[in-house]
Amino acid sequence: MRVLGIETTCDETAVAVVASRIGGDGGDILSNEVMSQIAQHAAYGGVVPEIAARAHIDVLERLIVRALDAAGTDIAGVDAIAASAGPGLIGGILVGLTAAKALALAADKPFIAVNHLEAHALTGRLTERLDFPYLALLVSGGHTQLVAVLGVGDYKRLGSTVDDAAGEAFDKVAKMLGLPYPGGPHIERLAEEGDPARFDFPRPMFGREGADFSLSGLKTAVRQEIARIGTPTERDVADLAASFQAAIVDVLVDRVRSGLRIFTQSGGQPNGLVIGGGVGANGAIRRALTRLCAETGLRFVSPPPGLCSDNGAVVAWAGLERFARGMTDDLTFAARPRWPLDANAGSLHHGKA
Amino acid sequence: MRILAIDTALPAVSACVLDLGAADPIAIETAPMERGHAEELLPLVERVVAAAGGGFASIGRVAVTVGPGSFTGIRIGLAAGQAIALAVKAPIVGVSTLAALAAPYVLVPFDGVVAAAIDARHGQVYVTAYGPDGRTLLSPRRVGAHEALRALGSGPLRLIGSGAPLLAEEARLAGLEAEVASRAPAPDIAYVARLGLVADPATAPARPLYLKAPDAKPSEQRPLQDAPAEA
Repeated sequence: MRVLGIETTCDETAVAVVASRIGGDGGDILSNEVMSQIAQHAAYGGVVPEIAARAHIDVLERLIVRALDAAGTDIAGVDAIAASAGPGLIGGILVGLTAAKALALAADKPFIAVNHLEAHALTGRLTERLDFPYLALLVSGGHTQLVAVLGVGDYKRLGSTVDDAAGEAFDKVAKMLGLPYPGGPHIERLAEEGDPARFDFPRPMFGREGADFSLSGLKTAVRQEIARIGTPTERDVADLAASFQAAIVDVLVDRVRSGLRIFTQSGGQPNGLVIGGGVGANGAIRRALTRLCAETGLRFVSPPPGLCSDNGAVVAWAGLERFARGMTDDLTFAARPRWPLDANAGSLHHGKA
Repeated sequence: MRILAIDTALPAVSACVLDLGAADPIAIETAPMERGHAEELLPLVERVVAAAGGGFASIGRVAVTVGPGSFTGIRIGLAAGQAIALAVKAPIVGVSTLAALAAPYVLVPFDGVVAAAIDARHGQVYVTAYGPDGRTLLSPRRVGAHEALRALGSGPLRLIGSGAPLLAEEARLAGLEAEVASRAPAPDIAYVARLGLVADPATAPARPLYLKAPDAKPSEQRPLQDAPAEA
């Protein structure tokens, strides 16, 4: 089975074709076209929704053609069309969602609405054979949460950020340090040259019960440190970046550890830990989680960075997983700018999760 | 040739199927609405194509309104139109909402200026105008109602669209002869199809006609003095 997946929830326009392997043993990415809008938003220090929506419509049709060509097929050769229907920026979602529904209608194919977070949570099953249940850490510019992935469409949120998302913290600190948007990769590179122990930044929520995150206090501490230094030297900036990243890593590892405890206490035994979202591309975080998993005997599934950041392949894969279980949607499916993975969790924490 | 026309740029969702040479669409549906275009559009297109018979395989061309209008509405129509054209391997053409609004009046004998205007809020209109011979006098633009009237000349004026009352009021203040021929908030989809049939895909691309830049200001980034610009 082959599914075409479309992703337009934030600042990446992406289309991919993914085929399932016989016997449910993961999938093959036949094509994975991604067009980033970072350059268009850089001058504004963040994603501007109207600019994002305009950029999506300008390139989406071309990307669909390219993804089909690269997969060596055409629309008749795919079995279903999937699109991220949320959560994210409504203007962009509508572009991808409408195109997917129209393709499905005109080509007489089933349509599948995918939750963008679900797509990241299921990625571990695309790249490797990973059975339910497992734990997923979703960390990006818009989300930071720990999810117990119990089955397709069956998710339990164990914890989420009560303020800033991890990627948001990276971006804000990068801005304070005079680094370009998006800040994550710049901080990571600088941190390699800096001293992670020079500044003793707070580790909010560390050791606390539950698996929630809080990152705004850390960001404030960095701001105060910069103010105290006055005019940071190159050395200071590298040390600030390294110390900040070390604090984030410690917090994430502690929260994952706590999440694992909750997971097992509720009677389950996770088959692994999967990381997803743009911050999941951060090497320091990946190394720390690899260590944690090695200590606890848990299997760590870290998809390649290109599948952590926004892309169509993980959407197509989530579409395949749903399609294989008969879960399709109709043409009236409305975009959901807010769409918690866990229907029971509601929209806690002012929707940042 | 058979054309499928789609419009979601203004407060309506419309689609029709028109065969080349036929006077009127073989199937047509319009649903006036302020919001909810995205949810309404594809089920409506499905009904219209089903009513036309022959299915999507019979569609030889797609026409879609490209604006001016609601930015989101423009993109919904374009995304759907482009995807349908791609799926049925047919060319797609873009039709301006202003041209479609004016189309029923452009060739009606009238010794004056025919102007289509859409209320763009805050006293602004999206406007275009045609002379007695159907020639374009004013290309589509977004301007204040007063400025629009000045650009339209000394009248008499025949005004069409949601912005027509605004221009009529300006004309009255200026002592110009003007009549509001229609206040239709959205074009008759049959005219979108007719214009789409005669349009050349090479010169009428299905690309957004926003007529307005996005509202966004560059951020005031104050780099630290000694921070490396790029790691």
